[in-house]
Amino acid sequence: MLALTLSQLTDQLVNGITLGMLYILVALGLNVILGLMGVINFSHGAFFMIGAYLMYQFAPMVGFWPAIGIAALLVGVLGMVFESALIRPLYRRIPEYTLLLTFGTALIFAQLVRWKWGDDAVRVATPDYLANPITIAGVDFPVYRDIFLVAVTVVVLTLVWLLINKTNVGIIIRAGTRDAEMVKILGIDMPLMFTLVFGIGSLMAGLAGALAAPIYAIQPNLASQWIVLTFVIVIVGGIGSFWGAIAGGLLIGILSSFMSLLWPPAVDLTGYVLMGVILLIRPRGLFGVEGVFE
Amino acid sequence: MSRVLLHPLVWTAIVFAVLPFVAGANPFTGTGGFVDIATQMLIFALFASGFNLLLGHVGELSFGHAMFFAIGAYVTALDVKGYSFDLFGHTWTHVADNNMLVALVLALVAVLVLSVLLGRLIIPRSSGVYYSMITLAFAQVVFFIAFTWSDLTGGEDGLQSIPRPVMPGFDPAFFHDALHFYTFTAVVVFIGLALVYWLTVSPFGSVLHAIRENKVRARFLGYDVNKFRVNAFVLSALFPAVAGWLWTYFQQAINPDASSVGYSGNIVMMSMLGGVQTFFGPILGSIVYWELQNNISQLTKYWEAWIGAVFVVFVLLSPRGIMGVIENVRTRGIGRTTR
Repeated sequence: MLALTLSQLTDQLVNGITLGMLYILVALGLNVILGLMGVINFSHGAFFMIGAYLMYQFAPMVGFWPAIGIAALLVGVLGMVFESALIRPLYRRIPEYTLLLTFGTALIFAQLVRWKWGDDAVRVATPDYLANPITIAGVDFPVYRDIFLVAVTVVVLTLVWLLINKTNVGIIIRAGTRDAEMVKILGIDMPLMFTLVFGIGSLMAGLAGALAAPIYAIQPNLASQWIVLTFVIVIVGGIGSFWGAIAGGLLIGILSSFMSLLWPPAVDLTGYVLMGVILLIRPRGLFGVEGVFE
Repeated sequence: MSRVLLHPLVWTAIVFAVLPFVAGANPFTGTGGFVDIATQMLIFALFASGFNLLLGHVGELSFGHAMFFAIGAYVTALDVKGYSFDLFGHTWTHVADNNMLVALVLALVAVLVLSVLLGRLIIPRSSGVYYSMITLAFAQVVFFIAFTWSDLTGGEDGLQSIPRPVMPGFDPAFFHDALHFYTFTAVVVFIGLALVYWLTVSPFGSVLHAIRENKVRARFLGYDVNKFRVNAFVLSALFPAVAGWLWTYFQQAINPDASSVGYSGNIVMMSMLGGVQTFFGPILGSIVYWELQNNISQLTKYWEAWIGAVFVVFVLLSPRGIMGVIENVRTRGIGRTTR
């Protein structure tokens, strides 16, 4: 059973990292929103899916590269409109209401996508120069999946890290995570910050969707497939934690990739088993802070 | 006398008696009175009422209650169909059993064991939205197992052609009639709802309400808060198991969707639509949900969007649901919909 070759292992490791990059983008978007606003966005999976469909829509019109940017930006704007129209009225209520509201809107988004783009899976072609693999040390690396995707994710993560840690906006966001009320008293326009952060989080989901579009079949149940796994990643990594989302995403990406070698039927369960173990030994998640989310 | 007549369970009985003649009513075509829709409404009323023990009475939102429904349904299906599969080098077989009461006991035991284990794992470690996410994730595990383990569960297609119910003392042909099955469902659901009602007005229910309003104070009063939360979790899981048992016989088929995010979410929507923190809320919610579903799905295949829209409007404008609206109209209060 364990007669695995080295190249099989490297293949799966690389696959796992690729998958992990997408997980990180989606989970970090959710986590940034969750950390600052204490809001769980059930429609986050729908934003991911809409990003993928917008990529499908725009790639033939404006080209591959611009389409990624357009898809991500449009989803970011959608997130900001969504937050100011629907989520803002709920801030004075307990967080469960936001979960319920965004569950309802997730149903609506899924049906809108079916209505606009149909039930059948659609695909986005990768440009030729990105589709061909390059060979390093005798191992083939598909350029798009293994190099381009990882590079884009690393760039985005760096930008988000810089935004959170090195800018005034980031200082306000971090202060707001600790005590939003106090920050508001200091004269900061918190609703504006919330909208901005929601937009950034949604943009990351949209970007992940656009980047995933050439790899996966795009279909209307993409949202519900991704949202629960995103929750699992956030739980494993720790709620509201930047490094937690990265660790959780990579860990689950790589582990489920190896699981597909060891025991294929259990691939889908990998993340959930990990979540169970984490719950037993460290309920706050790998990088979670005690008491941040009570 | 009037106090007896106004008792919620009397109203429940009246609704159950009328329902098969009006369920699925369509104001535009004038049709209505579909017994099967009425049966659906009742099964989900029991499911939602059990779930609402948590949301309405402990104030905790479980987003994974469909797993208990699904397990109740699958255990029933496997018991009455029999199974044979290989695992760990041994062939496990079960000959089809034709007593529906045995199936009920097995379904309850399976859900009891699972809910005790899960409750003890999840509840001391989480609360709030974190708890919702974790329950959702565990329901997804049940979904994947049902989806993947084809030898036992039939995989994506699930288990089909499940025999009609057989109960000692009843002519087997009795349950073939839709109205007979409805009556049987109504009796079971009524007993279940009476138990729910009794639980919520019992001293146990009062402790749950205390926990809902203020966990810290409840603890200072000497109650073991987590123990009560686990017990409420287990109790609220048993009603969906009974609903799953009924559902298997009603549909004569079961598939992994029964444990999906969609099912868990529908139950939450029903409870919220009707109004949590009330006895009638989940019952009313289930009736309204299936009524809307039935009518809208005849007009458009995107009916889920409309149900989602109705739900969003209620969350935004009337978080206490239809019961909250009724209450407001009765007391002529304005602006009392927020908690």
